[in-house]
Amino acid sequence: MSSHREAPEISKDPVADSSDLYAFVSPDAPDTVTIIANYVPLQLPASGPNFFEFGDDVLYEIHIDANGDARPDITYQFRFRTELRNDKTFLYNTGQIKSLDDENWNRRQFFSVTKVDKHGKSTVLASKLPCPPCNVGKLSIPDYGKLASDAVAKLKTGEKVFAGQRADAFFVDLGSIFDLGTLRPFEDKHLVGKTLFNYAGKAVNATDKLNVHSIAIQIPLHMVRRDGTKKVKAKDPGAVIGVWTSASRRQVQVRNNDGKADDLEVGPNVQVSRLGNPLFNEVIVPMAQKDLWNSLPPSDDKRFAGFVSKPELQTLLPVLYPGLFDNLAKLDKAKTPRADLLAILLTGIPDGLIDGFQNNTGATQADMLRLNTAIPPAKTENAFGVVGGDIAGFPNGRRIADDVVSISLRAIAGATFPLVDSTFKPDAAATAVEQGLSIKDVSGKLLKSFPFLPLPFDGFDNP
Amino acid sequence: MSRVRYRRRATGNRMSRRRALALGGAGVVGISVAGVAGLSLAGETPQTESASASAPLVISLRDAKKGTFDVFTGASKKTVTDKKLAAQLLKAVHG
Repeated sequence: MSSHREAPEISKDPVADSSDLYAFVSPDAPDTVTIIANYVPLQLPASGPNFFEFGDDVLYEIHIDANGDARPDITYQFRFRTELRNDKTFLYNTGQIKSLDDENWNRRQFFSVTKVDKHGKSTVLASKLPCPPCNVGKLSIPDYGKLASDAVAKLKTGEKVFAGQRADAFFVDLGSIFDLGTLRPFEDKHLVGKTLFNYAGKAVNATDKLNVHSIAIQIPLHMVRRDGTKKVKAKDPGAVIGVWTSASRRQVQVRNNDGKADDLEVGPNVQVSRLGNPLFNEVIVPMAQKDLWNSLPPSDDKRFAGFVSKPELQTLLPVLYPGLFDNLAKLDKAKTPRADLLAILLTGIPDGLIDGFQNNTGATQADMLRLNTAIPPAKTENAFGVVGGDIAGFPNGRRIADDVVSISLRAIAGATFPLVDSTFKPDAAATAVEQGLSIKDVSGKLLKSFPFLPLPFDGFDNP
Repeated sequence: MSRVRYRRRATGNRMSRRRALALGGAGVVGISVAGVAGLSLAGETPQTESASASAPLVISLRDAKKGTFDVFTGASKKTVTDKKLAAQLLKAVHG
């Protein structure tokens, strides 16, 4: 998956598990950037009476680096608090929920937003903003869309925020990919698959009809750029920002099970989850180092550069699909460093390689989602983003409909290596490989305005 | 922000042996820190989350041989060293 359950330890702590991160110039307000960080992945909509929620004991953060040093120049912190209205019932709601302060809604969650500047100075921008309820079902919540839109808050400082349940719009054929790297559209060409199938299969979206909890923020562009400018050219290094999200927990927890005192959580917050580029920790970092990666900041990512320079999947593809990736196999055998992947994932693509595009942040190697904020939203999106000729898409930030699985597969398969070596001829399969899914395979419908992700699937209709 | 990640540690902020002994005498977990205001100066305390004087305090003996303690309160962690206190605690626990 993008980053759902991507490391051994965080897979056991879903409340703090970041699953997807999006950053794009907002199509509904092109002078702003929208950043969405998803947590609490793989929610079955019918999960009452204890429906999903953010962790009151987790510090959620969205970081923005404006000067390329892989350290945050702005951090938005989100803290949550759950309140129980009625301690005599086992129910989430005791009647219909028609407003965010409805008395029938028993277990509500609120959040605060704090902005931390590059000097570490914290300013609380808002407190006790309401999250919408989980989408219990149409009997409990007759107009979920209205409730959810009422939960979008405009801050006095110019940002819009939303925190609450949403449909997971990430699409991936998880069942096949982790079954020996099979892609159903190519299963009859797979090393083992060809002994089982004599036809191409149809991909299945494993994350469809599942929900997540999203933290979304829309920020005026001049507030995230290093120079604070409203206008900047795409070639200007100041147009590029690096974005990542993290979740942290207090270092010490003491469980008081005597009924006399609350559990105790003290000490500094320590990072337990991180996400920049999709699939980085999932596919690039070896399992033995995934938990470590989650605990480190992007500024330490140089130590993982070797796994980008020679990714394991590059070695596996020619073995799993015999005869389809011969040129890639030669590249792998020659141990040629993948300068293209190092640029895409760790430094950004420099100016001059792709017409009108750059998202380079300098020499510091760090896994951040890099967005050139001077490139306006595309009128017609191409799900393959930059490799599909649409420079407003991944790896220029990441839009919700971008097919990051297929883009990453093509890049690792060698499709992007000519960017750094014009003599290299990618295998035909490298430019054709795809997982066989698109945003159309997500049953929820994307919204045209903030916070963009589809309304969550309800429990009644998705049992 | 998460501590350690992006913030420099403060220096010159060591807890006195006498203070650590006072804490040790009161127990290991959940000690009141009234009179231990020095802890709030710990270098890793975020500016917005300094511990109040009545906040619970947790002490962890990280290295018994060296007498290294981690002292947690509020959002801060401070490391102190006291071999004698470590020995006293080990004796109290293990006899």
